[in-house]
Amino acid sequence: MAGSKLEVVDSATYARYGASDLATLLANESPVFIKSYGLGSLATSAFRGGAAQHTAILWNGFNIQNPMLGQMDLSLVPVASATDVRIQYGGGTALWGSGAVGGSILLNGGTHYAEGLSLDAGLRVGSFGQAREQLRIGFGDARWSLSVAAFHQAARNDFSYVVNDDSRRQRNAELEQRGVITELRRRVGSHQQVHFAHWYQFTDRNVPAPMHATQSEARQVDESQRITGGWQRNTARADLHVRGAWFDEGLWWYPNGMEVDRSRARTAIGEAELRWRPARGHAIGLGVNSTQAAAISIGYVDRPQQVRNALFGTYGYQHPEERWSMSASVRQERMDARWIPLTATVGAEHVLRPRWRVKASASRVYRVPTFNDLYWVPGGDRQLRPEQGYAAEAGVVGEEHMGRLHLSGEGTVFTRTIDDWIIWTPGPTYWSPMNLMRVWSRGVEARITAKWSSGRAIYSATLRTNHVVSTNQEARTPDDASVDKQLIYVPMYSGQLRLGVECGRTSAFLVGTYTGYRYTSTDNRSYLAPFTLWNAQFSHVLKVGPRGDLLLDLRGDNLLAEDYQVLADRPMPGRAFHVGLTYRFKQHRPAP
Amino acid sequence: MMMRSLFALLVLLFTAGCRKDRPDAPEEAPLEVGTHGVYIVNEGNFQWGNASVSYFDPATGAVNEDLYQPANGEALGDVLQHMVIHDGRAYLVVNNSGKVVVVDPHSFTTTATITGFPSPRAMLPVNPSKAYVSDLSAGRLSVVDLAGNSITGHIPCGQWTEAMVLVGEEAFITDQSRPFLYVVNTGTDELVDSITVPRGGNSIVLDAEGLLWIACGGGSGTAPALLRIDPVARAVQTALTFPNDGNHPWRLTTNGDGTILYFLNEHVHRMAISETALPGMAFIPADGRNFYGLGVDPQDGTVYVADAIDYVQRGVVLRHASDGALLGSFHAGRIPGGFVFR
Repeated sequence: MAGSKLEVVDSATYARYGASDLATLLANESPVFIKSYGLGSLATSAFRGGAAQHTAILWNGFNIQNPMLGQMDLSLVPVASATDVRIQYGGGTALWGSGAVGGSILLNGGTHYAEGLSLDAGLRVGSFGQAREQLRIGFGDARWSLSVAAFHQAARNDFSYVVNDDSRRQRNAELEQRGVITELRRRVGSHQQVHFAHWYQFTDRNVPAPMHATQSEARQVDESQRITGGWQRNTARADLHVRGAWFDEGLWWYPNGMEVDRSRARTAIGEAELRWRPARGHAIGLGVNSTQAAAISIGYVDRPQQVRNALFGTYGYQHPEERWSMSASVRQERMDARWIPLTATVGAEHVLRPRWRVKASASRVYRVPTFNDLYWVPGGDRQLRPEQGYAAEAGVVGEEHMGRLHLSGEGTVFTRTIDDWIIWTPGPTYWSPMNLMRVWSRGVEARITAKWSSGRAIYSATLRTNHVVSTNQEARTPDDASVDKQLIYVPMYSGQLRLGVECGRTSAFLVGTYTGYRYTSTDNRSYLAPFTLWNAQFSHVLKVGPRGDLLLDLRGDNLLAEDYQVLADRPMPGRAFHVGLTYRFKQHRPAP
Repeated sequence: MMMRSLFALLVLLFTAGCRKDRPDAPEEAPLEVGTHGVYIVNEGNFQWGNASVSYFDPATGAVNEDLYQPANGEALGDVLQHMVIHDGRAYLVVNNSGKVVVVDPHSFTTTATITGFPSPRAMLPVNPSKAYVSDLSAGRLSVVDLAGNSITGHIPCGQWTEAMVLVGEEAFITDQSRPFLYVVNTGTDELVDSITVPRGGNSIVLDAEGLLWIACGGGSGTAPALLRIDPVARAVQTALTFPNDGNHPWRLTTNGDGTILYFLNEHVHRMAISETALPGMAFIPADGRNFYGLGVDPQDGTVYVADAIDYVQRGVVLRHASDGALLGSFHAGRIPGGFVFR
């Protein structure tokens, strides 16, 4: 996607969060605001002022957002589910379909060709009874790449917090999670590859009550099977991909420890894509996607099914001397018997001078209603329209070397409007969704990094600032005071300062994250106070034999014991510490 | 040169942002709870802990948006379904927080908290020392000892018990999910009878002639209706059925002497208890407002109707004279759903 902002989580950052979940990674290392219900509890994203349903989470190229809820609990996604994590900003529905409105998180597996045997074994313990064990075994030769990773974690999450000068302990927040992720790739001939991935995960957790409720005995069990597979053929002139996915997600909800509400969603996706390079610099792509989803829940009368078929095309151009590039994509989707509005993205980048680029992109975006929006009884409405709107952004990214000082930075401005934004509102006896709001989101994201090397040591400082204004544009009732007011739970200002020092095999980081006012009423009269969290990380790598490493890492979270709430009435932990030990072994280190 | 301007642009982007995010402090003067006033029961949002009780003084027009938090330094919880004043104490039934909070009606400081309810909906004092609490999910009523502020027993009853009214020695209890009106003997704490009514029984009042009126939202094959019931014969006397299921009568209440019924059905409707047909015209048309709560001052007949707007901002309360004329409006708390007059 030329012209839009993309951030790749670098390998050092990835390693530091390898035993963590995606919510923690994004909260600490990106401008994405994470709406966390507490340690180990539900965490969803607000990307550029959007709702949780406006972030697409793609695993190996397939959207894994739950079709019933249209959102993903990011606390359930281990960072270890991928080896390559990217944050794609802006509207991407022309490429990835419904939901890629505010941005997309791209999780991709890695390859281990020619590595021989490899091993990662890690142990981590921390405050509040947190413990995690993980093991990954890999094998790769010229033709095969195989990796099997298993993990298990448990936590009591029984931190204490203060309400009204009264110290309380979080109750009913225990968690246990285990999973296995298998990846297999094989090269066939010199131009072909087949790949397969499987991700099984089981999470059993208790759901704590809000601060002012008397108690909770609620429990939630999530179990999922996710499979992706495909075949690709790459030649000098063309690439052909045929791939498919199968997702099966179950959720068991025990409101008071006894009776159980079950729901289960299954999704099957098939996709074929041809990319053709007719001349130097030009690339044309054409593809089809078919997605079928079905769900069972006590909230649905029958077993609703949804069939979505899409046709998409892309065109890319790269100037021979790489002075500029552009891309365009278009997607037409049909859901059941209805046409979804045509979506498209165009973008371009221009190299101003070496290592400096300006870029811009614009897109039309959409999101189809979720199963719950359409079919939930009571309340669901089959006549709901898809949300749709327009997004655009422009930015500059560059870097400069000044002796031992290296400066880099990126600045982006964006704007997005969404019509027919779906929200659930309570009625006399039940809630129901409606195409109620028109929302205008706009903002500025900036990052500047300075690195200075002195002898063996590299000092670094990164400052990020984010300004997001996301406002409702339409009055719903005569006395509605929400017009031109910020959406609830979208911080208007947030920022991050990261200071680091790396010296050979030792590194230390100090990260401060500021989250500004978040309103808890649409008239912006009620709010949660801003908070700043300081975290510190220290890691040291010991050589163990010629091919092995032992990584020791220490992390301290909320060092100043800030008393804060991300969401109203949900307590958050004070100071916490973790210590981790990871052994890594690689038989061969392939030349990069 | 270009590089310098690019860095300047980056610096500009860092400092960009002209919108103030710090909210203004609410301009609120402490208000004395007087002898004649209106408590507004604000439900608050599910699981946000932000239920509140507003207070309006009709003599001065002064409003206090929340009595509870300033008096107790702590949020009340959510969802505040019901408030009742009994024997010099106010009882706040906080549904999702699973508790009944006992406060002094003047100072609003908490004197006790009664816990142990799965999902409490409403409270009915049946004698000076005993009350019943209905429940959304328990399938039984809780019996509360008002002296000890504790649950002393349960009465198996219905599924989602909701509104309650006392007629002599008997309590009549509506059910939102089952098509019955239950009769409980308050001396023996036993379910003694049930009267078949449409589903969705949400509110019940006693009229000037000693007869009961119940509003049913309908559902599952039963039509929405207002029913007049003889509590002695335990029989439906009049059934006024609404034409289609787009109707949803609720928040049934009466004027001070029980001769006029008021209820919500998108708009505010009213009818004399002698009527034999449903009212045709709205008494107060909603005009795009989201009417969510209704109360009638028993002293002067002023009609208070609450507009919950989008449920995520403070609501508006409109005051109408008994002839329908708009007297004024004021802001209450989040999701104003009920009124208590004293």
